[in-house]
Amino acid sequence: MPFDPVAYAIPVFVALILGELLWTRFAGDAHAYEWRDTGTSLAIGLGSTVAGAITGGLTAALLVWVHGFAPLSIGWAWWAWPLCFVLDDLAYYVFHRSAHRVRWFWASHVNHHSSQHYNLSTALRQSWTGFVALSFIFRLPLALIGFEPGMILACAGLNLVYQFWIHTETVKRLPRWFEAVMNTPSHHRVHHAVNARYLDRNYAGTFIVWDRLFGTFAPEDGEDRIRYGIVSQLGTFNLFYAVFHEWIGIARDVWKAPWRHKLSYLWREPGWSHDGSRETSDMIRRRWLESRGEQ
Amino acid sequence: MPAAVLQFVGSLAAVVAIVTVAWLLGSRKSANLSDEEEARELFRLAPGGFEPVEIALDTEGAAAIARDADGRLAMLVPHGNQFVFRLVPPDTPIRVEGDSVTPGNRPFLRITIGESARDWANTDSGDNNG
Ligand SMILES: [Zn+2]
Ligand SMILES: [Zn+2]
Repeated sequence: MPFDPVAYAIPVFVALILGELLWTRFAGDAHAYEWRDTGTSLAIGLGSTVAGAITGGLTAALLVWVHGFAPLSIGWAWWAWPLCFVLDDLAYYVFHRSAHRVRWFWASHVNHHSSQHYNLSTALRQSWTGFVALSFIFRLPLALIGFEPGMILACAGLNLVYQFWIHTETVKRLPRWFEAVMNTPSHHRVHHAVNARYLDRNYAGTFIVWDRLFGTFAPEDGEDRIRYGIVSQLGTFNLFYAVFHEWIGIARDVWKAPWRHKLSYLWREPGWSHDGSRETSDMIRRRWLESRGEQ
Repeated sequence: MPAAVLQFVGSLAAVVAIVTVAWLLGSRKSANLSDEEEARELFRLAPGGFEPVEIALDTEGAAAIARDADGRLAMLVPHGNQFVFRLVPPDTPIRVEGDSVTPGNRPFLRITIGESARDWANTDSGDNNG
């Protein structure tokens, strides 16, 4: 079993969540946490560790297999670690952007977003169905370049650990240089927002530079209050509904759609419909801009 | 794999502990709208958009009902300490009793809005078809 930083981080996660709970409570913010929401988030997190234990071996095996085709093996040289981490973070950006733009991938990623709260417990809403949603394919190129599968998985784990602490409203802004390079609570609040101006922005894992580079960056703006969650809020704390609702939605849409549109319900962006009866995030943003008298 | 089982049991215990602490610390407040502006903002975030021309707040701020220019009705329903948008299906009968309004015989959607309750009745069914 490769080194898994997430397992070691769990006790720290627990301590920090308890710390944030107490902090927000004594700062007078009674709405930061909702006990049932927290329960759902943590149960999703716990379930994802089980799903990870089941499919983790398959992902590792695939990485090893692909690594066999690499023209050169980079090995465990010390300089390979930072390089692997940065490239893995780029792979994460591509994965995450696809996860928001392709409904098949979104069906798995959506449960990270379906809480209407934004606190450290939200960070643990990790997918159960990532393997089915083919999330692993985004990391295969690193093995193909020649990075050690164990190193790739460790970097992926470290990246996930980094992303934990940015799920908070208690940290407002950090020093300018840090906000310029790193993903921060401020940048990631934007990512979890449903406000039209923020939809499909800030896909970064650890380094925000990818969003700045590829045109998907939006700074947090004081103009309107951030509302968290998904465009069609779940309205339930039911664990299994939260985990599977989008898969159920896909099945229903594919079943009902005319033949020539069936596949589009799998690969088009969330909110796409063949008869224009729903809205994608681009449509929502356009409508919002029009309502403000801009184009 | 006893280590994996141990990790699962430990994590499960931590989940129960955190949820208990959240409950004890009072993270079970119900949702509250401070004013019409806040309700308007939430209505606007609805999927497909909903631009209210008329809003009525629950007297305790626990819910809201609104009408748009096309005569569609929608509600903000509390969910934990947040709100969820619900479009009231067209032709839903809106019953008025005193200060409160109940859409479609669903007592859990009853909202107490005071004097203006009367204005939301649509018993003369043509009302909503503009
Ligand atoms: Zn996301
Ligand atoms: Zn997140």
